[in-house]
Amino acid sequence: MNKLCDKVLCKIREEKIEPKPRWQFLLKDYFVWSAFVSAVVVGGLAFCVAFSLTVDNDWDIYKYLKISPVQHFLISLPYVWLILIILFLGLAFYNYKHTKGGYRRGTFVILGLSVVGSVILGSIFHSLGMGRKIDKIFARNLPLYQKIHCCCNRKGIWSQPEKGLLGGRILKVKEENEFDMEDFSGIVWQIEKNNQTFMRGPVLIIENEEVKLIGEKKAEKIFWAREIRPWSGWESEE
Amino acid sequence: MLDKDNCLQKTDEELVALTLKNQDFFSCLVERYEPKLMRYVMRISAATREDAEDLLQDIFVKVYRNLNDFDQSLKFSSWIYRIAHNQVVSNWRKTKSRPQVLKFEADEDFLKFIASEGDLTRDTERKFTSEEVRKMLDNLDDKYKEVLVLKFLEEKNYQEISDILEKPLGTVATLINRAKKQFAKVVEEREIKF
Repeated sequence: MNKLCDKVLCKIREEKIEPKPRWQFLLKDYFVWSAFVSAVVVGGLAFCVAFSLTVDNDWDIYKYLKISPVQHFLISLPYVWLILIILFLGLAFYNYKHTKGGYRRGTFVILGLSVVGSVILGSIFHSLGMGRKIDKIFARNLPLYQKIHCCCNRKGIWSQPEKGLLGGRILKVKEENEFDMEDFSGIVWQIEKNNQTFMRGPVLIIENEEVKLIGEKKAEKIFWAREIRPWSGWESEE
Repeated sequence: MLDKDNCLQKTDEELVALTLKNQDFFSCLVERYEPKLMRYVMRISAATREDAEDLLQDIFVKVYRNLNDFDQSLKFSSWIYRIAHNQVVSNWRKTKSRPQVLKFEADEDFLKFIASEGDLTRDTERKFTSEEVRKMLDNLDDKYKEVLVLKFLEEKNYQEISDILEKPLGTVATLINRAKKQFAKVVEEREIKF
């Protein structure tokens, strides 16, 4: 044996160095893979909510808001969820790179795989209606969320009767073409409609149903509805 | 005591398995890799022989500690070179100084070897001394020096370099190409100057 070999073996013996047990390495591997999978799943959830909010958005109301379609598009993007998607894609990338063979794949391949994984999972979650549920949970429990996230569910947009936009909950159906509705600030409105009123989507005129109206403020607390839409995102509320 | 012939007949992978059962077999791996790693460490760290020995001791202890992490899908030599590379980098970070000078052995062979790869657009008209080659290499970026050492001095293939540096194959190929181009440019400039 040569000098270095002696020194190495001496050190190993003197300091009683032992190979680390295999389970420690396996545990680390499992942890990194779990972190990668979790990041892709959470990214999928974020994608699903962003997708649901985009699908549910009222892309045609810019004309009532008196803004350009581009402006409306920009204020309607679900920024919170887009940021979360990017964040979790970054995390997925970081974790994959730290798996044992993670270095073998290039940046674009890993990011591509993470995006595809999140999109597929997100689409499955969306088909299960999870996007709206998650949005609802966040809106209920995080007051700030409702203020900062921009989309069809933003109550502020649907609290502008002067511009022809009003949203709220049906309190009482009086007759075929008239019902009372409480808006988001607690004001009770008398809503009038007729046979020409367009019912967009699966909307029901029944008590406690939350709806969005496009029409005209006829007088104080009286609103004529030209179009009635379900309060998307809240329609599945239990 | 182990019989030396007993070591020679075994593959690296067999020695790893045997070391996990009997510590003494580790001496076979140390003896097998000491000269190669000593050269490699000195080439990439510009360390003195004494410093390189200390570094090598740490590398072998780390290898021993992590034997159970040896990935059978890799060549053992790639794995041990990776540990050596990481240890040198970690040492740079500790001392906060990257080597300014890389030492190359067999410099003229090295130059010829790179030239024969076809990326030097023309054959060099004159022979360079070892010192000149060393100076030319000093002008290369560290990342290029590293891949040149592995490709042309350690004679590793792309897959091995990828496993050692933990970079994708495509990145390794790009680095080697760029390194050769940069080296060719330096050689050309040198030729004009002389």
